[in-house]
Amino acid sequence: MQRRDFLAATTAFTATAFADMTGLNVLANPAVAADLKKNQKRVIMLWLAGGASQLETWDPKPGASTGGPFRAIPTDVPGVHISELMPEMAKRMKHVCILRGLDTKNGDHGSAAVTMMRGRRNEAGLKYPDLGAVVAREMGRADSKVPDYVTFYTQTEGRGMAPGDSGFLGARYAPMELTTNNTPEFIRKLDTISDLDHKTRSDLRDLLSKQFAKGRQSEVMGSHNEAYERVRGIMASETLFDISKEPQKVRDRYGPTQFGQQTLIARRLVEAGVPFVRVGRAWWDSHGQNFETHQEMVPELDYVMAALIDDLKDRGLLDDVMIVTLSEFGRTPSINASLGRDHFASAWSTTITGTGIKGGSVYGKTDEKGNKVVAEQVDAGSLFATIYSALGINPEKNYYVGSRPVPLVNPGVEAIEEVLA
Amino acid sequence: MRLLRLAFLMALVSPVSARAAERPLESLIDQRIDAKLAADKIAPAGPADDATLIRRLTLDLVGRIPTVGESEAFLKSSEADKRAKLVDRLMASPAFDRYQAILFDAMLNSEPGRGRSGSVRDYLVQAMKDKKPWDVIFRELMLPGADEKTKQAGEFLRARVQDADKMTNDVSVAFFGVNVSCAQCHDHPLVKDWKQDHFFGMKSFLARTYDAGGQLAEREAGVVKFKPTKGPEKPAKLMFLTGAVVETDTLRDLTKDEQKKEKEASDKKNKDAKAAPAKPKFSAREKLVEVALQPKEAEFFARNIVNRLWHRFLGTGLVNPLDQMHSENPASHPELLQELARDMAAHKYDIRRLIRGIVMSQTYARSSQYGSESRPEDKYFAVAKLRPLTPQQMGTSLKIATSDPKQYDGLKPDEFEKRIEQAESAGRGIASLIAQPTENFQIGVGEALLFSNGDRIAKEFLTDGGGSLLGSLKTAKEPAEAVNALVRTALARPATPDELNTLHAYFAERKDRAAEAYKQMLWALVTCPEFRFCH
Repeated sequence: MQRRDFLAATTAFTATAFADMTGLNVLANPAVAADLKKNQKRVIMLWLAGGASQLETWDPKPGASTGGPFRAIPTDVPGVHISELMPEMAKRMKHVCILRGLDTKNGDHGSAAVTMMRGRRNEAGLKYPDLGAVVAREMGRADSKVPDYVTFYTQTEGRGMAPGDSGFLGARYAPMELTTNNTPEFIRKLDTISDLDHKTRSDLRDLLSKQFAKGRQSEVMGSHNEAYERVRGIMASETLFDISKEPQKVRDRYGPTQFGQQTLIARRLVEAGVPFVRVGRAWWDSHGQNFETHQEMVPELDYVMAALIDDLKDRGLLDDVMIVTLSEFGRTPSINASLGRDHFASAWSTTITGTGIKGGSVYGKTDEKGNKVVAEQVDAGSLFATIYSALGINPEKNYYVGSRPVPLVNPGVEAIEEVLA
Repeated sequence: MRLLRLAFLMALVSPVSARAAERPLESLIDQRIDAKLAADKIAPAGPADDATLIRRLTLDLVGRIPTVGESEAFLKSSEADKRAKLVDRLMASPAFDRYQAILFDAMLNSEPGRGRSGSVRDYLVQAMKDKKPWDVIFRELMLPGADEKTKQAGEFLRARVQDADKMTNDVSVAFFGVNVSCAQCHDHPLVKDWKQDHFFGMKSFLARTYDAGGQLAEREAGVVKFKPTKGPEKPAKLMFLTGAVVETDTLRDLTKDEQKKEKEASDKKNKDAKAAPAKPKFSAREKLVEVALQPKEAEFFARNIVNRLWHRFLGTGLVNPLDQMHSENPASHPELLQELARDMAAHKYDIRRLIRGIVMSQTYARSSQYGSESRPEDKYFAVAKLRPLTPQQMGTSLKIATSDPKQYDGLKPDEFEKRIEQAESAGRGIASLIAQPTENFQIGVGEALLFSNGDRIAKEFLTDGGGSLLGSLKTAKEPAEAVNALVRTALARPATPDELNTLHAYFAERKDRAAEAYKQMLWALVTCPEFRFCH
């Protein structure tokens, strides 16, 4: 009633009532969910920071001098074997495409992370947007009630090396970064203002801005207003970050680890329409004790990724959501004196699961010891072209930096048709 | 195209005639801009009102909104030359030096947000204070030498020694308005001026630069080789963008002995490297400066700084994008660009002269409102463009907008300057969280969330502590008085009757908690676009 009085009193302005977003439960709204299912592709990236070993995951070499102690096990796809550390994924490989022939040339954490998040190196005068920013731009909506690009990286190791970055796309597509806990910064109002005042205050702002906009036109002013219009919706999406809203059965599926919980949040986010979520999991940089490290970490990845696939499938989302596992590079086949594996970018693996991808396919082959790619080599560019194509985005699409056309992938780079659905 | 190309290639550094010299730059600007408007039958917007004009000038020249006192004095004054007096006062203020230095720093370090080079900025502030001409600044950035005063300038290049390609491109972009990186792998696809020879030619001037234990140094010799798209690998010449070549016998690899010496120099720690590394007998970098400033080639240098400053104050360059100044991308007003470049060169690259000319023009002083729907394109400069505030403008302005205006009243000029400097430091924290505007800039939801829910905004700006605007409203007798003070302080203009009604209605619902009502209104005022933009 109070609010109505206030609006009525401002007859000089066009009174525009805001839809009240705070009460909107995006998950419970079947119309929203159905609409998303039809139109929008989304991506969850499991970023294995520091460099997971391909030999202890997707490209085992049992019996080879480089193979290490773990066996390979058969999977639900005849002829395809993965590490015995991944028994759960072994039952679900029919949904997954493995690319075993990655040769990405760069074994330096920082710059390799930049390349693997963008599909190419930055140029001297041009900073490219990363995958998250491109997907946010292509799949996000101007009036979206949820963030466009969320990235979790709560461990300390290597955090500064791969921040989400929208490059020349600028602040509009910059990620919401979570680095300390599972709740985004500034998503909750301060206790010093009531919810009603918080809302009415922004209505007042809206009135003032409409008055100012008379006779003025500007895209950047549009983005400013749009940003403020999205605030209440984004605040309402705070519940998406709260896994206590999930049934215990679902939470148990993902397990109690931070990685598991964040992946569950990622699922909640994409379900509500967030185009891109990255869950960073660090400590893969196993220069010493590679096998103990992987014995501890691969089962977690196995369990969580399997849970995510099942969960998305149960919800009918696997056709629209893509899961990508990626690192800045893999690890050396040769085992060093500390029983570790070092940085290795010449022959390593990644996986793509879900939308647009031929499940159960394997592309790329490494030699007996895993030292080099012997067939179907893939570089960062063609990996990205493949991801874009699978999402229905034309990799040759141009963005414009000033008058200069900048295609999503460098000229001549092509998607791997063999793995596209 | 042919004609434009000829015009582009014409040497422009010729002595100005006595008649042209008498003519104020601003009238030259208006004449050229108006001629094009008339030719294309476009009606420009009317002049901005005084409150808008003083806000715009204060933001652009010293990086903040005006105080209530400044704004009211300007509105009240009926002096015919009040604008000129204001411009001269602002340009004489130390805040002008500080703020313009920040803008030059951002221009040199094009990657927004990251790698802020403190010492280059310190150098630039001092250079602005010393009223150094642009060619001197260029020379000192490129050839910092061992002089303590100019050593800081060396950070510009030293920060780039790891990547000669980046150094080449950044130097070309910042000083010549030319992005040659496209010509790195192949001849430029769109511009016939740019061949691979140009990129590698420019690189040859710079690639001998290295870091000798914290000091910028240069090798005696060096050769950049490249593989053209056709034919075998070849060595690059020392070739400037115009194709001018500097002949030298130093296009060779270093000898073993020279390599050893360099390694020793590079390994030296900062401490014992007191003596600057010896200057080479032949300095390729010095030659670059020489060539770039010689009359026939200086066109790039002069046009670039004109275009940059024009863009700084009008929001659109005469040539856009700023790093594509070449024959295939003509200026919106070719004669004007040429005349201003010529004037710049003829007046020893005096930055202030051009700045004053631009901000005194009618073109600069137009309203940002346009009556009809069909708004003319930016390239006509028929309407003022809305420009998002820079991080520094945001920070300092936010402090002033939320402070008790009396804080700035009745002060002697140097006390006033000191108070303003305090506002600058108070705004620095929040400024570091605001994105630097770039081409095609868009404001992200992160900023809106920060302002909506950030503790910092509430505690540092929307406080009612001593010296704050909200604190001063506690003694307001009438809500109308408070509402007027809010608009006047935050938006640097008197409130309109409509606004008074709106704000009063907002207040009426919160009569019982006036302090909160004022705080929320102030929030709405500093988050609305009228505050966020220079308009």
